[in-house]
Amino acid sequence: MKKLTLLLLCLVLLFSISFSKTVTLNYLEVMTSPERTKLLKDMISKYEKENPDIKINLISPPYEQADQKATLMLNTNQKLDIVEIRDYTLKQFVNNGKLEDLSKYFENWKDAEDLTAVAKKAAYTLDNKPYLVPQCIFIKALFVREDVLKQNGINTLPKTIDELIDIAIKITDPSKNQYGFTWRGKSSEFKYSDLFASAEVENIKNEKYIYSTEKEFFNTEDYKRGMEKYIKLFKEAVPKDGVNWGFNEQINSFVSGMTPFLIQDSDAIPLINNLMDENKYTVIPIPEGPHGYTYLDYGFTGVGIPSYSKNKTEAWNFIKWLNSPEQNGYFNEHYGALPVHKSTYENNEHFKNEKYAAYGKEMVSEKYIFKTYPLDSERWPGWSQIHEVDMQNLLLGNTELKRVLKKWEAYWN
Amino acid sequence: MLKKSHTQKNKFLIYILIPAFLFLGLFIYFPVIKGIFISFKNYTLFDLSNTQFNNFQNFKNIFTDQNFRFIQILFNTIIWVVISLLFQFILGFILALLMKKPFKGRGLYSALVFYPWALSGFAIGLIWAWMFNGQFGVINDILLKLGLINSNIGFLSNPKIAMISVIVVNIWYGVPFFAIMLLAALQSVPNELYEAAKIDGAGPVKQLFSITIPYIKPTIISTTLLRTIWIMNFPDIIYAMTNGGPANSTNILATQMINKILKFYDYGQGSAYGVVIIAILLTYAIIYLKISSKKGNDNI
Amino acid sequence: MKIIKNTLKIILLLLFLIMALFPLYWVIVTSFKDYKEIYTFPIKYLPSKINFENYKYLFEISNFGIYFKNSVLISLISALGAMIISIFSGYSLSRFKYNKAKNTLLLAMYFSQMIPTFMIMAPLFTSFANFGMTDSLFSLMVIYISTMIAFSTIMGKGFFDRIPVALEEAALIDGCNNMQTIIKIVIPLSLPGLAAIFSFAFVNIWNELFLAAMFMSSSYKMTIPVALNSFISKAGVSWGVLSAGIVVALLPTMIIFAFTQKYIVQGLTDGAVKG
Repeated sequence: MKKLTLLLLCLVLLFSISFSKTVTLNYLEVMTSPERTKLLKDMISKYEKENPDIKINLISPPYEQADQKATLMLNTNQKLDIVEIRDYTLKQFVNNGKLEDLSKYFENWKDAEDLTAVAKKAAYTLDNKPYLVPQCIFIKALFVREDVLKQNGINTLPKTIDELIDIAIKITDPSKNQYGFTWRGKSSEFKYSDLFASAEVENIKNEKYIYSTEKEFFNTEDYKRGMEKYIKLFKEAVPKDGVNWGFNEQINSFVSGMTPFLIQDSDAIPLINNLMDENKYTVIPIPEGPHGYTYLDYGFTGVGIPSYSKNKTEAWNFIKWLNSPEQNGYFNEHYGALPVHKSTYENNEHFKNEKYAAYGKEMVSEKYIFKTYPLDSERWPGWSQIHEVDMQNLLLGNTELKRVLKKWEAYWN
Repeated sequence: MLKKSHTQKNKFLIYILIPAFLFLGLFIYFPVIKGIFISFKNYTLFDLSNTQFNNFQNFKNIFTDQNFRFIQILFNTIIWVVISLLFQFILGFILALLMKKPFKGRGLYSALVFYPWALSGFAIGLIWAWMFNGQFGVINDILLKLGLINSNIGFLSNPKIAMISVIVVNIWYGVPFFAIMLLAALQSVPNELYEAAKIDGAGPVKQLFSITIPYIKPTIISTTLLRTIWIMNFPDIIYAMTNGGPANSTNILATQMINKILKFYDYGQGSAYGVVIIAILLTYAIIYLKISSKKGNDNI
Repeated sequence: MKIIKNTLKIILLLLFLIMALFPLYWVIVTSFKDYKEIYTFPIKYLPSKINFENYKYLFEISNFGIYFKNSVLISLISALGAMIISIFSGYSLSRFKYNKAKNTLLLAMYFSQMIPTFMIMAPLFTSFANFGMTDSLFSLMVIYISTMIAFSTIMGKGFFDRIPVALEEAALIDGCNNMQTIIKIVIPLSLPGLAAIFSFAFVNIWNELFLAAMFMSSSYKMTIPVALNSFISKAGVSWGVLSAGIVVALLPTMIIFAFTQKYIVQGLTDGAVKG
């Protein structure tokens, strides 16, 4: 049956080739939003105008369903020529043999040299082979409501994490509905506790991952101290409701001025600018830890080519165009993520703006050590769920720190 | 002659069943059999190169999982189903009784009061999560303004209240279904029965229990059974409001199953949860139908 | 006494109405607010100015018109399909003589309702993918029909149980065959019930999200729930547009309901009368 279908497919393919030269590429995006889809469509039509024999069919499932859809489509060899890959899905696509190793394309790609250090790391995440061309980088910086701080008699911005915690606690006054820090309680909350706790640990510097099955630091005095500080921050500077806060609640509470400190990716900037006067807040690099540096996680998305695609050359040509410094800069300027080329930060005025500059500084400063998560470990999928439950239990007082850290240590060993 | 037409009729009855079971067979039963096979396999999207029978490991994991304790999830599920169903039914019944006698504007009233049933589950969850927000939620704001509370309630962040909150939303969503079904059934109770009861001196409460409820029992049985099945398999509201949190306090079997599939990419264990759900519901349905048909109601 | 009873009744009716309507009020108000006002605190209970931006966005940027058309098409055809098929299956189960077989078949119907969507999603997708039939309205309709058959059959059986067999026997003697009996006697007598089945199926299909999101790829084939879901992105929920979308999505179901509600009440009445 399958053979017959394949034969038929080939016949149809031959037939269509002999009659027209137009190649249709199917492109699946996963980090979707209506605005981003529109942006991509506009860019695609520009490309189609320049290349009349190429047609690109953009597939945009809703964000929450997109990863599952991408996985199912790849695993059943659906017609796809370009696929967007996230940090979280990369390993499973490669594991299942669905992604093309782009090494030979990278050799002749002149813009590869221009990639930022973080972007290069992202491209070579797995086995030191490029399975994707990075498109968007997500790292965190500190959003500050200077107006709210001033109202509360604070005129300096925090330089260290300890200062940040102190200020947040100092200005908290529940009777005035004033709190210090915008908590994250669900979906990817682990990125926040990891940031605070790991900053106390010196040795992570030499490790590949922030923690992994090879090495973790959960049960060290340093990590524990970091967690204690983070929990103190929750107890003394965050409304109890924070346990259930996701992205929307974070934005809501920052924009309303209830919590003047927010740690977020750069794509929150255009959103917040829409909601409030952009002169009332600023974005600064994450404060440094007690050892003079902070470990930052970086999220990324990129585009790759399915191993079974029949139009790899055409797909690569489009990918090359889409992720040229010029187009990638244009894309991220409107989407809000960070571009992947060094030259973009120099040439594009948009990323010289002080808010985006904070991210630029983080990427070149020695105070920030970029660590990724063990995305290639089979323990990784689901870790965020397990962490979330443990953390909520901890904050609600259902369990104690020591037990949780023991549990995490056991999980990663 | 009569016998011949009888077998002919029987044949006809079987023929006309075929389309329904053809659809069910191809698009429900066949995929579910595949799903059951998956539940016995090591089937994670993370690595599909080794999808072997794994010696019931998926089921063992469900019962020994320390992060998502089965007992707690099962208990949550029972609370979720029983309380939701009970209040959906009681409130739906009261609403149906109130609407039984025609009144001016009943058509418009029913359209306005029944609309929650026409909304999609995830949309309901989102709207209510937003209204229930502990700091900016409109419900807290109103309660404060009315002077009913002094400080904001963490509807979704307090593990003792979160389950109540999601159940309230589920009740809100499910009342119209029962109201519509029961209202319709109520219209059918012959008036003579009530007249006779009145002559016997029975009050409204006695009439309700001795005439109304027994009369519409078949409707009650089929609707409560269907509804139980649907509520148990309805993760949408919880998924959008709390995603099972805080600290697992609203995690039910259906949400845990989705989590295993969407977050852990573990179709093996996700399907195993599915098998557990089906097993519980099947047992329940068989017992429920046995008991209700024993009492002389074969109309399920 | 009677006055007290009536006042109590009116109070209760109003209470139910307020409880039902408040979220709708909130959604409508939000849909007319502009971006900033949605996040304003203290909360505004009325928009300072009626703003149609969100509705414009729906139809100009998000192609809601196309999704609307798809959803209407899919829901209408699938609901009709499920209804027609269950006329026969419901009738058959109603007239079945052997109780044991009948109860097993009914249980098989209930069984199909017990299966979580996510359990069959991947197997279904894989099967359809093998035949290259994923990105297709037709595939989706076929699946939707299957998911609605059980409910429709169980309800249909309830109605047909109440139609006296004597009527059919008379028709048989008049020379109608079995099929003609169904078309000429059974269907006309249960039209109200069929309207009820249709509208229940319509609403359920209208709101289905997960299968539609998984099966449909081309943007011009998406349905309303998928479009609504797409207003949730990494950067949170677009409340204004989502609210406007919910209001628009409610319209057809409200219209269907307005047309069939008289039948629904009456229809189930016929079904509930014990013959």
